[in-house]
Amino acid sequence: MLMISSRKKWNNVTLLFPIILFLFLFFLMPLASLLLRSLTEPTFGLQNYAQLLATSTYVQVLYNTFLVGTLVTVISLLIGFPLAWCITLMPKGWGRFLISVILLSMWTSLLARTYSWLVLLQSSGIVNKTLMALGIIDQPLEMVHNLTGVIIGMSYIMVPFIVLPLQACMAAIDPMVLQAASICGASAKTVFFRVFLPLCKPGLFSGALMVFVMSLGYYVTPALLGGVSDMMLPEFIVQQIQNFLNWGMASASAVLLIMITLVLFYLYLKVQTDSPVSSNTGA
Amino acid sequence: MLLSHGSLGWKLKSSLYIITGVIAAFLALPIFFIMALSFGSSQWLVFPPPSWTLKWYERFFDNPQWMESAMTSLQVASLTSIIATLLAIPASFALVRGKFRGRDYLYTFFTLPMVVPVVIIAVAVYGTFLNLGLTGTLFAFVTSHVIIALPFAIISIINSLRLFDKSIEDAAVICGAHRIQAILKVTFPVIKPGVISAALFSFLVSWDEVVISVMMASPNLQTLPVKMWSTLRQDLTPVIAVASTLLILLSLFIMIIASFVRKQSNHR
Repeated sequence: MLMISSRKKWNNVTLLFPIILFLFLFFLMPLASLLLRSLTEPTFGLQNYAQLLATSTYVQVLYNTFLVGTLVTVISLLIGFPLAWCITLMPKGWGRFLISVILLSMWTSLLARTYSWLVLLQSSGIVNKTLMALGIIDQPLEMVHNLTGVIIGMSYIMVPFIVLPLQACMAAIDPMVLQAASICGASAKTVFFRVFLPLCKPGLFSGALMVFVMSLGYYVTPALLGGVSDMMLPEFIVQQIQNFLNWGMASASAVLLIMITLVLFYLYLKVQTDSPVSSNTGA
Repeated sequence: MLLSHGSLGWKLKSSLYIITGVIAAFLALPIFFIMALSFGSSQWLVFPPPSWTLKWYERFFDNPQWMESAMTSLQVASLTSIIATLLAIPASFALVRGKFRGRDYLYTFFTLPMVVPVVIIAVAVYGTFLNLGLTGTLFAFVTSHVIIALPFAIISIINSLRLFDKSIEDAAVICGAHRIQAILKVTFPVIKPGVISAALFSFLVSWDEVVISVMMASPNLQTLPVKMWSTLRQDLTPVIAVASTLLILLSLFIMIIASFVRKQSNHR
């Protein structure tokens, strides 16, 4: 046993070396060079950041990004909560069936799903036709190439990321606690708001935070369902590079996006107390 | 009472079921919708289609550009899956078994590519590869895909390795097996489902990747999502519905294999 443990230190380094080298060369270095470029192109200094936060068109991009992120988070929470609740309530078989529908939707090609919404929401699409046939609207609504399309498409994509953590959280709640509350005389409404909802809070919080972070960095769906006038940060970054070859500005906005993401991710880690590797390692 | 099926009032229960039905339809329908449209005859994607046809499939399979991009996708995804899994296996062993400080930090570092927005990774790697003259190569595609596949591979291998009781492997060593032999013959068969799902999900991540691939692509080398992307920017032709259907079917196929692997390991 002693021999095994004395060799361990050496082993860990060798085992971890390939992945660390890989991520250092192809992940950290490129990110670092992005940071460097944001400070040095076209000249050394913080002028890219100053321009980003002072020019009204750029501020509008930041505003759009946060607006879409917030709305998508709220909508997917509103859709995800009843679904998670229902999965928890249902007999096991049905619950498992619904979870596999959610997983299927989550792992189906993002591009395929976005294309589907593009077709569904276009002015001659099935959504507009149905609404017109029902007499709710007279003229087709403009639902693509604007923020409405982006929000519908992205909420659709984000629902699974709310439901899965929230459902896990709800399944862990002891139904006895709720029963105890109602035995003590609490009305259904009180039990819901004072007992059930607070117990769901960790799931709600981690799901919402994850969705918000993901929404800020989403490129594909906004680029296809959104319009040219109301751009979000990821599109802006790509545009600066592909159309204007403005690496300084693109890098500065990329660094800003990373900073926001990492701060929110840090919060997320704080909420999630259990570590996946440290706790309960067995040996 | 809000969590037990029987004691909910019928009003609340039925409204909850209706809402769930609507949401499940909302989640599943766009997927089936696009598969149905790939067989529709309407160029303008009218639904329900006036008649059914296979002509879009013919267009897809007759066009060398679509076929080549599909082949490139398969090639890139296979290589990504192999490399990501091979990098993740030793790292997972070190993280789960090792007793050294900073394991949590390393784990966070390895899963970071999942957190950093893909568009940032795309731009960063594109900038570096552009300077090295590597864009448009198979190497660029595979390396950049491995970055984002690694977190998925690591997480699934670590999860299966954590459940394995190391003393069984130690027993084999005490009985005279070499450590490597014990790992291959005792540990590996048990964690195999985790390794397989690592490979499958890495494949899926690469197969589906758009943003990085659009940046890495050249007119001579592109993956299926890149071809879809550039076509989509021009028009909504039903041929994209065909490509989407193929992407969906492959994802579905891989998910079925993954759940099969998981079930088998549960029965053990």
